[in-house]
Amino acid sequence: MTTHGTEQLGSRGPGPAAGDRRERISGRTLGLMISVAILFAVLALLSQSFFSSYTMFVVSRQMAFYVLVALSQAFVLVVGQMSLAVGAIGSITTIVLGLGLDTWGLPAWLAVVLALGLGALAGAINGLIITRLKIDSFIVTLSMMFIFMGLRSGISGGSPYKVPESFSFIGQKSLFGVPYVFLLVVALLALVGYMYRHTVFGRRMLATGGNAAAARLSGIHTDRMVVWAHVLSGAFAALAAVLWASKLGSAAPETGDDWLIISFAVAIIGGTGLNGGIISAMGVFMGSAIFMLIKHGLVEVKANPYYANSFLGLLILLAIVVDRVRELYSDKQKGR
Amino acid sequence: MLELKGIGKRFPGVQALQDVSLAFEPGEIHAVVGENGAGKSTLIKIITGIYQPDEGEVHFEGRQLRFRSYRDSLAQGIDIVSQEIQVIPESTIAENIMLDKLPTRGKTGIIDWAAVNRVARTYLEQVGLSLAPDTVIKRLSPAHKQLVQIAKALSAEARVLLLDEPTSSLTEHEAQNLFAILRGLKEKGVTIIFVSHKFEEVFALCDKVSVLRDGRLVGTRKISDLKIPELVQMMIGREVNATHLGRLDADRGREILRAEHVVRAGKIEDVSFAVREGEILGFYGLVGAGRTELARVLIGEDRLDAGAIYVRGERAHIRSVADSLERYGIGYVTENRKEEGLLLQSPVSTNVTIAVWPRIVQALTRYISRAKEVAITRRMIQSLEIQATGPNQKTEDLSGGNQQKICLSKWLAADCDILIIDEPTVGVDIGAKEHIHRLIWDLAKTRRKAIILISSDLPEIVKIASRILVFREHRVVGEITGVDDEARMYDKVSAAIGRYLN
Repeated sequence: MTTHGTEQLGSRGPGPAAGDRRERISGRTLGLMISVAILFAVLALLSQSFFSSYTMFVVSRQMAFYVLVALSQAFVLVVGQMSLAVGAIGSITTIVLGLGLDTWGLPAWLAVVLALGLGALAGAINGLIITRLKIDSFIVTLSMMFIFMGLRSGISGGSPYKVPESFSFIGQKSLFGVPYVFLLVVALLALVGYMYRHTVFGRRMLATGGNAAAARLSGIHTDRMVVWAHVLSGAFAALAAVLWASKLGSAAPETGDDWLIISFAVAIIGGTGLNGGIISAMGVFMGSAIFMLIKHGLVEVKANPYYANSFLGLLILLAIVVDRVRELYSDKQKGR
Repeated sequence: MLELKGIGKRFPGVQALQDVSLAFEPGEIHAVVGENGAGKSTLIKIITGIYQPDEGEVHFEGRQLRFRSYRDSLAQGIDIVSQEIQVIPESTIAENIMLDKLPTRGKTGIIDWAAVNRVARTYLEQVGLSLAPDTVIKRLSPAHKQLVQIAKALSAEARVLLLDEPTSSLTEHEAQNLFAILRGLKEKGVTIIFVSHKFEEVFALCDKVSVLRDGRLVGTRKISDLKIPELVQMMIGREVNATHLGRLDADRGREILRAEHVVRAGKIEDVSFAVREGEILGFYGLVGAGRTELARVLIGEDRLDAGAIYVRGERAHIRSVADSLERYGIGYVTENRKEEGLLLQSPVSTNVTIAVWPRIVQALTRYISRAKEVAITRRMIQSLEIQATGPNQKTEDLSGGNQQKICLSKWLAADCDILIIDEPTVGVDIGAKEHIHRLIWDLAKTRRKAIILISSDLPEIVKIASRILVFREHRVVGEITGVDDEARMYDKVSAAIGRYLN
């Protein structure tokens, strides 16, 4: 990892007396790291096989998917919006991938390009409707979610598509025990972190989420930034879907059904600001680790899986409450 | 009679009010004026029971009031019509007026809507509002919403009515209408307290004026034996009443921006002007008169419906803020610095450099040079004397004056030749205000910037502008030149305003 800390418009670099917000947030990331360490220790005690190469392989690969799904949500959260269609875009792209590979018999690379392109296009449609017609992102992505879900059920009839064996390479193989998926995602996450910290494009997105009116009056095309955020969101959802199909060895229509809650949970635990303008690549990474480890732990202690959703909800709430308490506390310290 | 006796109020680090004694008589319109930070809003909040005074007493009709809350003051017949218009947008006029006393059918708890509308209508008539009582509030103009607020106060049988900058969102015609209604209420024996910083309104409407400065009462005078320059003197005090900062010899500068017959439907009607480098052109007028609206057209935030804009002699097509910044070098310092000007949660460096990121980025890696960012920010902190701990300080933690300088520095960093500065000293304390005035003037004098200064603060505009355009109802109604002699200026501006007042 080359990125760490929280991206908040130039919040690091040389110079004395860094703003206290930055200290507070790197404190937050530190807190996440400590949580991950504790979870690791607890799981190691619970299970003999936790550190086995097989468990590590499964855990790290699953974590990578959480990172992708969370980034898909985080891109739009950064510009002050949300997308309820994250999972639905994943689902519809899985269908197109399946159609391409199975029904139409396209070469794998072409089917992948098609799927990724469709994800980006779906995001672009969301973004354009939101910005051109000035409709709330909640309602637009909610509608799109149902449209895509209906399409995927109608087209697929619920049964999975076959994918060629060669296609499963990236999703199932590893390099020195580290899954390719994990390596790819870590590289992407590093790029995303770099983008938000150092590039005009990324910082303009942060500015758009931080204060859209001020960003616009500073010469930033905020509508364009919003559309781009949705395009990135769609593309990452599609990428997650393609890799998931590669991992499964088939294109399953139910792909993405649980992504909505996961995308919010991991992004929020990872410190992505719900009101826009804040994201941390390291935070998203740690957030997905926490999420993964807790899920794994619940399996280890043989918790009743029917209650799993309650744990998820509780986890999200906890993350928000902790942040809010910190905020109130720091305001109090400043005497506000 | 409402009487304040020796009122004092302290906030951490500020003595907001000190030993203020004032009497408000029934059947009198009494203006309270003062600059930003003079203590006007604290005084209002003490009268309405939102704040408790640390020292002194409030007496009303012979009894001492010990307000615990705003509700208590309402119960005493003291009501306020505030700047932020407090109405419920989704409900009807009648509901808003009758909210705290909705009549029901017997004891059923079911609202008797016919009665609500009937009673509300009588109060609407009293404020001269001929709208159906069941009209939904959000369809109303700000002026009408304000009248609804007054109707509501009347329905509560308010005997003291406080109006806090009531005309800030009204057109002049609407303001005149409001004044007529207030004069009517005065005849009925209502005590009206009129808080404003607009002299022309104070002189047109009020009987008495009390001036606050730095939390103290400077004095109470009858309007009939007062002149505008005297009032200005009382407000800003002798020591800060520096004369005009000096000649800008603008006439020697090149003409850099020209607008011809600019029209923006419903906002600006046929406005033409030109500004030279090294000149400060003042836009004086009330909110909604067309000044900010014109600025928004000049920076491409709003469309130009008709007319033409020329920059450096060439026809300019400004389609977005990015255009105005990159192609024409026009920068706009907004009047709402917290809402539209700054990323408050971000460090100072971000706000200073936001408009120049594309210029300090490495071509290949798209890497914004942090070193350059810091260097630019340091330079601005130094040259504008911004009180900040450094480029990394969170912008929210700076004072109003320093935040304003950061807004300005954004456009200086971007090397804009044309600066449109909108109400630069709103919410800025007096010391910082002086500093900002000097700064703006220096930008024109030594750095030869062409500056358009939008202000409804008359002393401010007279002090630094080289030429003033007076805006009224979407048009330019007067141009005042030769702004060297301050006293003469007030006369000229007062005359210009006076002509259009009645």
